[in-house]
Amino acid sequence: MSMAIDSPHLARAQTLLAAIRTTGLIGLALIAILASLSDVIARAPADRAGYGSELQSPSMLYPFGTDCLGRDMLSETLHGLAATASDAVLAMIVTLIAGGLSGFVLARLPFGTGYVPRGIAGVLGSVPALLLAILAVGILGRDFAPYAAGLAAAPLAFARAFDRARALGESPHAEYARASGIPVSTLLRRDLAYEFRDQFIAVAARALAAVTITLSTMSFLGFSAHRDLGLVIAAERSSYLAAWWTAAFPALALLVLVLFARLAATLEEGERP
Amino acid sequence: MLKFGLRQAGIFALGLLGALLLAAAISALPAGRAAYPGAFLQHLLHVAQFDFGASVLTGNPAVAEFSARMAATLELVGSGALMALLIGIPLGIAFGLRRSLRAAAPLIQIVAAAPVFCASLALIFVAVNVLHWHDLHYDGTDLFQVLAARDQSQLVHAFHIFSLPAVTVGAVGVAAVQLVLRGAISDAADEPYRRNLKLMGLSAFEIERIYVAPQVVAHLFAHLGDIVLALFSAAAVAEWMFGWPGAAYLFVKSVALHDWNVVALILLAFTAIKLFADFIGALSAHALAHPESAR
Repeated sequence: MSMAIDSPHLARAQTLLAAIRTTGLIGLALIAILASLSDVIARAPADRAGYGSELQSPSMLYPFGTDCLGRDMLSETLHGLAATASDAVLAMIVTLIAGGLSGFVLARLPFGTGYVPRGIAGVLGSVPALLLAILAVGILGRDFAPYAAGLAAAPLAFARAFDRARALGESPHAEYARASGIPVSTLLRRDLAYEFRDQFIAVAARALAAVTITLSTMSFLGFSAHRDLGLVIAAERSSYLAAWWTAAFPALALLVLVLFARLAATLEEGERP
Repeated sequence: MLKFGLRQAGIFALGLLGALLLAAAISALPAGRAAYPGAFLQHLLHVAQFDFGASVLTGNPAVAEFSARMAATLELVGSGALMALLIGIPLGIAFGLRRSLRAAAPLIQIVAAAPVFCASLALIFVAVNVLHWHDLHYDGTDLFQVLAARDQSQLVHAFHIFSLPAVTVGAVGVAAVQLVLRGAISDAADEPYRRNLKLMGLSAFEIERIYVAPQVVAHLFAHLGDIVLALFSAAAVAEWMFGWPGAAYLFVKSVALHDWNVVALILLAFTAIKLFADFIGALSAHALAHPESAR
């Protein structure tokens, strides 16, 4: 009876989650297309001063207006979005390898030795990711900002993957596999394949949302070498109070990127990526 | 309870040891690659005795630099935490109990996607252009002195300076608290024991008070560390945005200028606070969830 009541409810919830994820993925795909064509779509090269007259409000001629140096904000937003997206993808890959994949594999180390890296991840995960990323940039240099953001997000991803892998390792199918003499490496390969199939999109999108926020905040604070959305917004900090459009459109682009990544990861409202 | 407490104390102690190693590793950075192992061991000995050396920028002891700033950070995080509890708890309960309020979910999802620095910029914009506040940057005003003096113009000035950073940190805290509570209440709503207790003759209020409330509060305590981490993360950005003279602002400046002793100390303090919140949260959650073992 309970199954009969729960099944339609569960099916509805799963359909809703699938719809949210698809919306997020379509949004990210559109952003990827926009970012890859930014040099073609944008009317002016990045950081081109004097393209129009100063502080023009949004109009047919300048849809996103111009800033105090006469830069076309539509072009600046597109170039900034492309820089943010490409850096974020690089950072996401670092997070997936150093966090998700490592956590999953190291959880299966013999004699519980995997708990040592899990402990290290726990300590590093106790530091705000932004401060960890800034520290990494301070040590490695501004050119390594995407790697720093990826490494800063890795401890949490590692801990999540490790805990999931440990739970899988103690599940009934793992017990049966061990009892029937299936090697640990075979079981790991099997679990990794299922993990990739079931969790990859959610884990990758979650990492993308996390590193995008960290990267743009680092740029805003001056810890990045690339002119991404964070730096574009920072450059307009002195003028946006009188000319809202100079910061509003780049901020909106950033918000949309993070929002689609959150939707693709099906994060709950208010949940930190 | 004792066994659980000892286990948590062990986890806390190991975490602190890891944080000390991290602090020593950062302090030893100026030594360079060749001399690093020796310098690391030397710094580890010093750090274990809470000797963090001097700031290379001011020459003052790193501890003095840090303690002068940490009070400001705790002030900010404390006010943010207060706001998070005052607003986040009712919000979490409302979202958890009234499923019709889930209609607001897309709006919350959009707000949650905004990076903290963008939210701060929006707050500043509203404060300047709508509320006509023009004294938002920290200028050394001491909130407690102003409160004691009870001068109205000074109070208004202090309110302008303190409210926006506190709202920035508080908003992040509200999001974290409501999320934890909402999840706990939603889980509790589907518990099979509710139906059985009703059949046993307990009223809905009694079930909520005796069984559900401790479970929900325990869940909140179990996530105390995550909430504290969210508050400190927001404080780091708010301090930079509003020129707040806190430890996170000092951290950013110290990294930029390679003042590693100060960086190590701030990182150690932040990590220790989060680990302590995890420890206290785990003990409290366990005591609430297993009251018989707490006696």
